Amino acid sequence: MEHFISKKPHDLGKPVVFLPSAWFAVLTLLYLDLSMRVATAPVCAYGQAGCHVPSLADLFDRVIQQSSRMHGVSSDLHSESDQYFLPNRNLIGKRKCHTYGILTPNDKENAQRLGPEQLIEVILSLLGAWDDPLSQYYRNMSQDQNQDFNHYSSNKAMEISDMVHDLRDGVAKMADKMKLSGVLGNAANYISPESSVPVSAFSFYKRGELNSVDHHDLLFCFHRDSNKIKNYLRILKCTTLPGLDC
Amino acid sequence: MAASSPSCTLRLLLLISSLGGLVTPGSAFLSDWSRWTSSAPLEPHFTGCVSRDQETFRCWWSPGVFHNLSSPGDLRVFYLKKESVHSEWKECPHYVYSNRECFFDANDTSIWITYCMQLRSQNVTFYNEDDCFTVENIVRPDPPVSLNWTLLNMSPSGVSYDVMVKWKPPPNADVAMGWMRVEYEIQYRETNGTHWEALEMQPHNQQTIFGLLIEKEYEVHIRCRMLGFSKFGEFSDSVFIQVSEVPSRETTYAFTIVVVFGIVGVLVLIMLIVVSQQHRFMMILLPPVPAPKIKGIDSEMLKNGKLDELNLILSGGLSTYAPDFYQDEPWVEFIEVDAEDADTGEKEDHQGSDTQRLLGLPQPASQGFTNTISFPDDDSGRASCYDPDLLEQDTLIPMATLRPGPPEDREASLSDVEAQKSEKKDMALAQTQNAGPQTWVNTDFYAQVSNVMPSGGVVLSPGQQLRSQEGASAMQEETQKKGKDSKAGDETEEKKQKEQQFELLVVDPDGSGYITESNAQQSSTPIISQIPGEGHQTLRPQPVETKPAAAAEDNQSPYIVSDSPFTQFSAPVSDYTVVQEVDTQHSLLLNPPSRQSPPPCLPQHPLKSLPAMPVGYVTPDLLGNLSP
Repeated sequence: MEHFISKKPHDLGKPVVFLPSAWFAVLTLLYLDLSMRVATAPVCAYGQAGCHVPSLADLFDRVIQQSSRMHGVSSDLHSESDQYFLPNRNLIGKRKCHTYGILTPNDKENAQRLGPEQLIEVILSLLGAWDDPLSQYYRNMSQDQNQDFNHYSSNKAMEISDMVHDLRDGVAKMADKMKLSGVLGNAANYISPESSVPVSAFSFYKRGELNSVDHHDLLFCFHRDSNKIKNYLRILKCTTLPGLDC
Repeated sequence: MAASSPSCTLRLLLLISSLGGLVTPGSAFLSDWSRWTSSAPLEPHFTGCVSRDQETFRCWWSPGVFHNLSSPGDLRVFYLKKESVHSEWKECPHYVYSNRECFFDANDTSIWITYCMQLRSQNVTFYNEDDCFTVENIVRPDPPVSLNWTLLNMSPSGVSYDVMVKWKPPPNADVAMGWMRVEYEIQYRETNGTHWEALEMQPHNQQTIFGLLIEKEYEVHIRCRMLGFSKFGEFSDSVFIQVSEVPSRETTYAFTIVVVFGIVGVLVLIMLIVVSQQHRFMMILLPPVPAPKIKGIDSEMLKNGKLDELNLILSGGLSTYAPDFYQDEPWVEFIEVDAEDADTGEKEDHQGSDTQRLLGLPQPASQGFTNTISFPDDDSGRASCYDPDLLEQDTLIPMATLRPGPPEDREASLSDVEAQKSEKKDMALAQTQNAGPQTWVNTDFYAQVSNVMPSGGVVLSPGQQLRSQEGASAMQEETQKKGKDSKAGDETEEKKQKEQQFELLVVDPDGSGYITESNAQQSSTPIISQIPGEGHQTLRPQPVETKPAAAAEDNQSPYIVSDSPFTQFSAPVSDYTVVQEVDTQHSLLLNPPSRQSPPPCLPQHPLKSLPAMPVGYVTPDLLGNLSP
């Protein structure tokens, strides 16, 4: 009789034993998941409670990364448009960019001589000047059915116009933060780009009798200006926050 | 592209060159030098412009086929810096004639502004519109400096290793200020190999090279370029890496292996020892449970059937006969049986009380009939004094509750006695039943039901091989009908059948049942059997003394004959019965009313209580000892 009796508890014990170990495993996994979760608190624009406000260094890094990407995309666009246009064209010979009115430092010493406030001013002017033409360019590209490279370029154009917009907002926030932290003097005020930039920037690049817009020049100009922006941001960072990356 | 030239030959030449689609000189600025191959233009042209630090740049020219212009000063370099609408051509600020180079220092260099270059001779201007550029597009950084390497780690096998390579950015590239951002590319190869292995480009100042092999020499160099641009600078000087074998590593390795194997061997040895001494360990860990043993009696002896010795022992002649049976088992506790003593052995504790309880008798006084035999018997139940005490050991003793009933086949069975009856059903006389069940209180009788008769009776069987239990069978005397002189004829016991098919037939469910006992064949086998399930107990009503004659018989009749011959068949005796009382002589009375004469208890068999244990068995040898 004993053996009958002994069997039953043994069989019942197996699932019972599993239960606590299963619970334990579940709890352990939960704990690990929670502990290892990266804090992805939203970035707050206005510093409201509960948000993870990025530091100035973080802002700089993000902005510089964005400008690098922008410059890279513009390089792609420009080099591609080079293939479809006559390669031996005179690059800039007769034409100029619509941002010619914005005074930008063209060498290292001048850039260093400009203080952070003026640098930011220049950057914001440039970004503001390109916001509109690029969106027009994108619209123009998506409507134009003729050319073969539209597909590739229209995506890039959209990307670029978004990037410029985002970068402009990012630099503005960064400037505010710099003001708050005392790096910038409060006297900095930014000249609105309209004064130095032609009103209809996009039409500045119109060529020929048919008023068809020459994208090639636009891309060349933007390529150049995005490089300027990138450089200025970097100089700004390394002068205000000299750190590991500089 | 043809410059204004008064000379017809020049024009012709230019026309021809233009028709031939010669590579224009200006394109040299915008394309890699390596791609610019053959057909050098004929007229003076610029071979290239390069900036190293994005703050200065320099341009080189060549006179082409116009060798008369090769002397310094014949050709002058003019540049146009398109800063405003009113820009003008200016002459090169700094000539280096030895290189045919024009150097623009930091004051003259502006980034993001288009420069156009022009060569002018006395009266000819060689100008190519393609020779326009912006400085950031012609930047080729210098190679990094201070390239060095350190051993990072070795593979466990000692065949390959990793190396950390570090360097510093080119000194003239102002990376610290952020003016230039560069990314680096490391290439390495085996010293005499041909193919360079390039690692991924990255902007940091160090990089790890994985998987280099020992005893091979590697060559490593590095170059960099501006982030976002495509023109690389030149390669740095090569650095050589070579790592030879590290013997200490191997000895450590071997040592580790030796230690591991040693440990494994020791473990194996321990396992062997444990396994070989397993029984000893088992004894220590799990000591065996002592089984009841009788002092002086060896179970083997019983099995072998040496009844003589056994009888001797039982009779107490050799009380100290074999204490050494269990010398080596000190834990053996001998169960001391004492009529009066209640504290010998665990089982004995409640002997008297049990008996009393069962029978409702007063505590039997020791009337001298106590242990005449100094036999340390256990408490195996014995039906009466006449029952030899045979030990029942760890057997399931089925006992049947005996029901009163008339013995039926008594006579019939008588005749069959001689036959070997395995299945002979003998009617055992169940008498004691008369006493009624009321005295059966608290009694357990067990019997193994072996068959069910068609007539409705249940055949109880003590089991097979009663042969060995033959002696037991002697104990399994049928109960004898009380009062009747029906005693199981011991003579009839002659029929010692080998098969002691001992069947107790309980027939009557309704109360008139009788118990037939078939076959109390007992052979001359040892008294004590250890056949499980054998335990029959036959409680013999012992109204009469056992028949001493039976002792002579070989087939031990399980029946204790009384004066009147009593065959088991003539008077079927039930195997089990209820002990009604214990008389003064410690014999079990199965039917108290018929206690004419107190059954003489065999001195050798002091009665003890009963029924959880079978009654004592008597072998034919012992029958002789049974004396009324």
